[in-house]
Amino acid sequence: MIIEPPPSPPAVPLPVPAPLTRKRRYVTWLSLSLMSFMALMVIIVYEARWVYPEIQAYFSQTGNLTGQQLATRSRGYLQLAQQHLLSGQPLDDEQRQAVRLNLDLAYGLIDVEVYRQRYSCTQPSLETLNLLTERLKETTVTPFDAAAELLGPIGCLTSIEMNQLDLRGMAINEFSESTRRYNQILTYSSMVIFALGLLFWVMHERQLRRTERATKQTIAWMQQAMRDPLTGIGNRSALHQDVVAKEGAALAVILVDIDFFKQYNDSLGHPEGDQLLRRLASLLRYVLGAEAKLYRLGGDEFAAVLPCDDDALLISYCDQLTSVLEQAAFKHPTHPHNERVTLSIGAARFIAGEATLSDAYKAADKALYRVKSAGRNGWQISTTA
Amino acid sequence: MNAASSIVAMRCCAHHYPKASVACILLLLSWLSVPVYAHALNVINGEKNTALALNELRQQSTVNSPVFDPFQGREVEMHGLEFRRFLINQFGEVPPALHFTTWDGYEVTLGGWDDPKWLMVTAEDGEPLTLRSRGPLRLVDLAYNDQRDIKSLREFNDWIWMIRSIEARW
Repeated sequence: MIIEPPPSPPAVPLPVPAPLTRKRRYVTWLSLSLMSFMALMVIIVYEARWVYPEIQAYFSQTGNLTGQQLATRSRGYLQLAQQHLLSGQPLDDEQRQAVRLNLDLAYGLIDVEVYRQRYSCTQPSLETLNLLTERLKETTVTPFDAAAELLGPIGCLTSIEMNQLDLRGMAINEFSESTRRYNQILTYSSMVIFALGLLFWVMHERQLRRTERATKQTIAWMQQAMRDPLTGIGNRSALHQDVVAKEGAALAVILVDIDFFKQYNDSLGHPEGDQLLRRLASLLRYVLGAEAKLYRLGGDEFAAVLPCDDDALLISYCDQLTSVLEQAAFKHPTHPHNERVTLSIGAARFIAGEATLSDAYKAADKALYRVKSAGRNGWQISTTA
Repeated sequence: MNAASSIVAMRCCAHHYPKASVACILLLLSWLSVPVYAHALNVINGEKNTALALNELRQQSTVNSPVFDPFQGREVEMHGLEFRRFLINQFGEVPPALHFTTWDGYEVTLGGWDDPKWLMVTAEDGEPLTLRSRGPLRLVDLAYNDQRDIKSLREFNDWIWMIRSIEARW
């Protein structure tokens, strides 16, 4: 029987498309989850860094130039001027200077565009202060009358204060309301983003498990693809892969062929033939030991690859195979020359990597051919691989 | 008008224009009637206290710039000194912070003055600043542009008005 050397099996088929797709999905869910949590962090930082100071700036005005209303401060200076005017003492230069200073300061604080625009009493008050300053300089007005004339501007300033307070109150209410709305939106959006982050994380975990499961399945499938389902030993693909993996090792390849297996099947039926194949696989395992790798190449053809750096050892393996088979005495009713199952065995040694599997296989196959040519039921070793 | 210029005027009147003595007396009286406040800026550096005459500061003013003044609600031609250069002249360098006192009793300490955009205004629209126009000295940011909302006076809190003294805080 001529055994063709096995064609170089294709590289182990990598399940390229599916894992890449899974990986992309995996990255996407993870990215979405991380982006959600980052968005949450951004919201928190935004809240702490910008919104809170804005609230502070709005409500905390003490000590600032406009912390106290200009109108309030202006009114204060007018009342100080009144105090000087109504002190009951003659208005000397010092008193006059003090009154003028207060009037000027009051004027500077009320002479603001926003007051002139909003409050009609502003301009007349400014004119009153102007006129009063001139009359005080010319001493054409008594202190009492001057103090009385200041009541008009003071009244104006009081109304400005009240209105400004109302406006400020309205602004604060509006700000408070908008802040409340903003906080609500922020809270809900934070919760949604947080939930989305969790959801994406769950999706990511789920995807991760799916990927792990798919990887396990792929590995199992790959292992299964390397096995012979009938005997449980390796197939041609496994043979090639195992030899590649042992580069540099001193190995022997043993090819085993059941003599007249077709007749065995014809006479006893295929189930019995299958049973014989399984028994032979067990026998090979028993004789060659755990270090030997066994393969079914197809039909009744078996191969074994095992560590071997000596021809004598290889000869002893072949001898043992024959003798143990004889002891097993598997019946073969239609064997032309024997009543029991016999084997044809060809073997060769080689150094993995120095000689290719194909070379070793060819050498072992030639040895096997010589056995078959010589009438089967025997073994031969090829000296060159 | 400051005291020095008044004395010069008096001497002129007395020695060269005796017939105009009445006018000289009226001139003196008019000076006396001007409030004695707001004639000088106190510059304080540790123990050293220097009074700078406002007239001199006005004479040193070389910068002119149109600025929208939100308090007046219009664009004003402001005239003054570059504040950063003024500080270097007075203190040797720009102090990290300055403590301001103003004629209306306001006090504040602020930093960040090493910036040429700040103008110490001495006059606007050709008229020297007075207390009535929130002078005699005022600090104005010349380049605020879009950084401040002109409708919100709160954003102009650092435009210090009615400056009376400037103290270096090292």
